[in-house]
Amino acid sequence: MKHSSAKVVAWQVAILVIVLSIWEWGWSLRAVAALKPLVPGILDPYFISKPSMIWTSFLKLSCFGDAAGFGACFARNDNNLWLALLVTLKNMWWGFVFGTVSGVACGLILGRSDYLSRIFQPYVVAMNSIPRIALVPLIILMFGLGDMSKIVTAWIVVFFVVFFNTFEGTRAVDRDQIAAARLLGASEMTVLRTVVIPSALAWVFASLTPAVSFALIGVIVGEFIGAERGLGKLIIEAEARANAAEMMVAIFAMMVVGILLATIVRQLQSYLLRWQPQFEAQA
Amino acid sequence: MALAQRTRPDTPLAQAEPARERVRITVRNLDKRYGSGEAGVKAVDDVSFEVKQGEFVALLGPSGCGKSTILNMVAGLIPRSGGQIAIDADEVRHGDVNRKVGYVFQRDTVFPWRTVEANIGYGLEIAGVDKAERKAKLARAIETAGLGGFGAKFPRMLSGGMRQRVALMRTLIMEPEILLMDEPFGALDTHTKLEMHKTLLEIWERERQTVLFVTHDLGEALTLASRIILLSARPGRLKEDFEVPFARPRDAVSLRESAEFGRLYSHIWHSLGEEFRRTKAE
Repeated sequence: MKHSSAKVVAWQVAILVIVLSIWEWGWSLRAVAALKPLVPGILDPYFISKPSMIWTSFLKLSCFGDAAGFGACFARNDNNLWLALLVTLKNMWWGFVFGTVSGVACGLILGRSDYLSRIFQPYVVAMNSIPRIALVPLIILMFGLGDMSKIVTAWIVVFFVVFFNTFEGTRAVDRDQIAAARLLGASEMTVLRTVVIPSALAWVFASLTPAVSFALIGVIVGEFIGAERGLGKLIIEAEARANAAEMMVAIFAMMVVGILLATIVRQLQSYLLRWQPQFEAQA
Repeated sequence: MALAQRTRPDTPLAQAEPARERVRITVRNLDKRYGSGEAGVKAVDDVSFEVKQGEFVALLGPSGCGKSTILNMVAGLIPRSGGQIAIDADEVRHGDVNRKVGYVFQRDTVFPWRTVEANIGYGLEIAGVDKAERKAKLARAIETAGLGGFGAKFPRMLSGGMRQRVALMRTLIMEPEILLMDEPFGALDTHTKLEMHKTLLEIWERERQTVLFVTHDLGEALTLASRIILLSARPGRLKEDFEVPFARPRDAVSLRESAEFGRLYSHIWHSLGEEFRRTKAE
């Protein structure tokens, strides 16, 4: 708390510069005989590439550095960085939306009904114990190599995270607050809309930040196993050519996507949950 | 002649009298058991009483005597094991909500995701009362509760006492004819409690709702109520039922300093003391 933010930023920049420098020039130090045993094999650009090579690959994949011009390059390469990013984002978005909507709906229904939750409990536990990634080959078999299989994968991964949190959140709603609403004339639907949902919203949001990452993981794994386009496909193709630099470009693209989406979720959360103390400052 | 006329039943003043005598809450041979058989615990045992129009009745008793249980059965929040409860002529059934009845909880039940205004206006909002009318009523309620300037704030920015004012106004804005209150000021400190007594007295002396007020605080019961129903320790039985003779309007602070208050306090304390000793002995 006592440290000024300028100092914190200075440290962050320093760490970035040091890491990038070692990454870029570390391997070259092997030319000096005395330093050779000190340079670990992992710094070999064959495995991790180099910032400069990644930049070059970025210019190539993004069509920014293409000799024929951006438009011609974009049209020629149907899995250029932008199209791959767009496809992955699109699949991720629909998986996230369907997963969240269905997860919230099922969580609310089972959370509000002791009867239904008792009936479905063993099935939910059984389904949840399956590692979602194990389903991907099956999903690809069912929905093909196109976008649908990626959307379904992301959907399933997101669904369970959101479902469990919504269910718990619905269970945690204050009984007296529900009674108070009823006594003020609220019907079952009004209680749901004005008490249960706002109260469970904190729990739902707690699951949305991980859900964004899970949606991305779901789509990428789907693209690894079988796809025509997307960032995952870009990585798999680069791997086939042992091109670490291109893989790194795709990885950084995913990082940027992850950061952006998490920020959007956090902004929405701090607005919708502005009644909670931890979001006071942002509200 | 004029004097005689005043007592005749067809004059407006005389007509008002029987109306005030109208019984609003009837409780007959009320029983409540938790669990069944040998392991069951009897919480309320054969309690009967009536509350008339415009009465402010305090249900007073030691902790665990079942007074809140009685109130919750009157509100229809929990089922009863035996006996009858009626509000006006209507039998109270578990789970039913009676629009004539307002309820104030002991626990903080304001909705933390709604602003003070949105909390107080909740009942009107879900009843579909139009915005202009809602605004006018809200303004009056906020004024009455002394919450001016806090309308747009969220409850967590408020003190416990202010939150309870919000809960009280959220109920009162619906203009309930019958008000059920379950130790509404039980969680507040002494000073805040007195402030709440002032506010409640002011409102009640103006509007004269029929009130059933649960408390274990003798001073509170004497300050607010027109009648006190004293319950025994568990299982709750009717022990005493008496009028509180203090004139109205009452002042929550100076009333407590009066000699009569002290006398009545010690009389009931004696009676209540027996019950407390019984509770401890068990």
